[in-house]
Amino acid sequence: MSELDEFKATYFDECSELLLELEEQFAAIQSGERTPDRLNAVFRAIHSIKGGAGAFGFSALVGFAHAFETLLDHVRDGRIEMSVEVTGLCIRANDIVADFVTAARNNETLPEHFGAEEKLRFDALCAGENVADLEGELMEEFDLDFTPVRVVLKGDTEPVYEEPDADRFETLPFQAMAGHWTVGFKPHPALYARAGDPLLLFRELASLGDTHVRAMLSPMPVLAEFDAIGSYCAWEITLSSPTVTEAAIREVFEFVEGDCDLTVTELATTQPTALPTEALAPAARAADHGTTLASQSSALSDLVPPAELTQKIDPAPALPKSPVAAAPELARPSPVTEQTPAEDKPSEHKATGVQSIRVDLDKVDRVVNMVGELVITQSMLTQQMDETLRAKYQELVRGLEVLAQTTRGLQDSVMSIRAQPVKSVFSRMPRLVRELAGKTGKKIRLETVGENTEIDKTIIEQLSDPLTHMIRNSADHGIESPAKRSAAGKNETGVIRLSADQAGGNILIVVEDDGAGINRERVLSVARERGVVAPDQQLTDEQIDQLIFAPGFSTADAVSDISGRGVGMDVVLSNIKKIGGSVHVRSITGRGTRMTLRLPLTLAVLDVMLVKVSATPYVIPLSSIVETIQCSRADFGRVPSGGKVLRVRGEYVEVIDLAERFALPNEADTTNRFVVLCETDGSTKVALIVDDIIGQQQVVIKSLEENFERIEGIAGATILGDGHVALIVDVQGLKSMVTHRTAA
Amino acid sequence: MRVLTVDDSRTILAMLRHTLSGAGFEVLQAEDGKQGLDILRNEPVDVVITDINMPVMDGIQFIKEVRASGLYQSLPILILTTETSQDKRSEGKAAGGTGWIVKPFEPEKLISVIHRVVH
Repeated sequence: MSELDEFKATYFDECSELLLELEEQFAAIQSGERTPDRLNAVFRAIHSIKGGAGAFGFSALVGFAHAFETLLDHVRDGRIEMSVEVTGLCIRANDIVADFVTAARNNETLPEHFGAEEKLRFDALCAGENVADLEGELMEEFDLDFTPVRVVLKGDTEPVYEEPDADRFETLPFQAMAGHWTVGFKPHPALYARAGDPLLLFRELASLGDTHVRAMLSPMPVLAEFDAIGSYCAWEITLSSPTVTEAAIREVFEFVEGDCDLTVTELATTQPTALPTEALAPAARAADHGTTLASQSSALSDLVPPAELTQKIDPAPALPKSPVAAAPELARPSPVTEQTPAEDKPSEHKATGVQSIRVDLDKVDRVVNMVGELVITQSMLTQQMDETLRAKYQELVRGLEVLAQTTRGLQDSVMSIRAQPVKSVFSRMPRLVRELAGKTGKKIRLETVGENTEIDKTIIEQLSDPLTHMIRNSADHGIESPAKRSAAGKNETGVIRLSADQAGGNILIVVEDDGAGINRERVLSVARERGVVAPDQQLTDEQIDQLIFAPGFSTADAVSDISGRGVGMDVVLSNIKKIGGSVHVRSITGRGTRMTLRLPLTLAVLDVMLVKVSATPYVIPLSSIVETIQCSRADFGRVPSGGKVLRVRGEYVEVIDLAERFALPNEADTTNRFVVLCETDGSTKVALIVDDIIGQQQVVIKSLEENFERIEGIAGATILGDGHVALIVDVQGLKSMVTHRTAA
Repeated sequence: MRVLTVDDSRTILAMLRHTLSGAGFEVLQAEDGKQGLDILRNEPVDVVITDINMPVMDGIQFIKEVRASGLYQSLPILILTTETSQDKRSEGKAAGGTGWIVKPFEPEKLISVIHRVVH
């Protein structure tokens, strides 16, 4: 991808975001929120779209956006009222801008008069005011500056710019050109206050021709009266060049106009252009002064009265600094000595580099993995230190503490490389809420908090669907209709609050609404009806609330268009579990519902339970474990087919002996073994029998598929702190293996 | 030489970076005036290029705060804007801006304007 294409890609991405924002802002404006902030925001957005479009030469887009922007500017200034009609026009114009952007992105050409009608309306609206004449002129000048500059890339690196009017400042007729000019320049203190620097001006003048600069020191006060930020020095510069114009000289002083007294006088009499300038100009001057001249520059140096501080200025950046020129610079933080500019500059240029680099995500992942391992090794080392060792090797203990600290720091920095603010997901939600409000006829406001909370990129990518679903659920089932809300004494507008926060090693994402809360009676009766809950089963309020995540559960009387087609909140749960997170719901009747997503900071490190099966270590993801039971206390039973089952609170769960499954020698004595009760996707349970439970820890996941085939029932491997490799048990995979076999 | 670029448009920031780093400048980026101030507090900067229309803190306020801080009286600040109307320029100058660059900028012009305000 060439650099220009990359810029374009950035620009189109940005446009998409800006258009989305515009849509939101106009929607708010349409609903009556005509706040200055919103008007400024829409103006800014159109302005940005236009700015980029100009750079890429999308002239049709520039033209339209410019007219649109002008209208918005008038609205912003209060010259045009943001009436319902104007708002409507703006919304339509917004769509047109979007079409222009799409066309530009796809290299399509829109009909010539596309958007012309709206543009005319803009112009008519803007011209409708009394100051139209003045504005019109200004705008024309404005338009000129918007002549798009097309960027053409030669090869792939060197940008070449086709400048439509490169000699804009040198277009005066030849007749006006004379050889010699005197420039009188006295800066006001304001010039220095705005970081203006006379030396730079002289340097620029020197690029126009031969210059001699003379400092006028007379107004310099005695030291006691000297104001460090005052301006005392004035300069007289003589400039000689056969081609320079007054406009070109004044152009040099463009930025300091008004901040100095400036006089530009032509010394030589203007000569007819037919005559060779090189001979004429000096000769004319020489005649006036009665001096014989050898060359232009020597002529000039003689013209200027001798002064203590006359200097010849070279166009080169390396300028010897005069003591006087340095005087106004006393207040500067970086004093410039005589030699430094020449010597420092090149090295400065060499030392410069880019502020960011592009790195392959794979490389980052590798670093993340290795840091994960380092963290685990470090924690293992720390755990190895018992009291006796601690007393014996104090230096080692201290070293380990430093290692722990550094490792944590390293982990944080590495994680931040891949972290992205949740904003990228959150920003899609306002539009969703607006659509939902429109469809349901409810009034809903979305509040977002903690948009800048950063989460691992891989997690963010998988967050969008669950969040969308949760918000849909809140809007559809949580928030009541305006009538119901007022009847309940609530504000007609319901609020859905979306927040993100980091708590310890987790990210919490909370979706809460101030709606009616979960209707537990109904949830329970539906759950019983659908067989999700046994008829005689007693559940706590919290358990009932969690039922909304049960597979196949949906309380909507008719499958609504909004909360999906028969796909319930169970999808949210399984999606979140897939990325190692959990969902919790809490509801207060009449007050609202809060759903909390707890997510790991990263996917690279997994919380596991370390177990042993026939003296071989295995790890089971903690997120799938419900509980562990000693075998001696477990209530086993047999089903007619010969399979073993475990009875847990009235529920029969299939038992898998891991030793058997992985063809390892079985331990004879089963009483000391353990049952690890796991829950798979869709909350079916499976009981795994292991020989020993060693403990809980974090591991880094290693894929086996790169070097081996995919192994059923194994999700991957990890290296333990002591160097042993442990396989990660894939509970879901084990379960389907069993189901498969039973079926066969 | 280090240039701090302040603009809420990623496109403009990217193009500035391209042009400036191509000319040997080291480029720092901020998306609004507030971020710009944060960078100035922590990093040495030789010249600032700032947009006017920005969320959070606009360019005018940014320039005012830079000048008011006392530390950067002589830091050249160029206003980067498409607003060519005289009042925007004067407003920028009144706030303490050193000069201006009109968007869309031509790379050579951009570099020459920077050399006009910085050694």
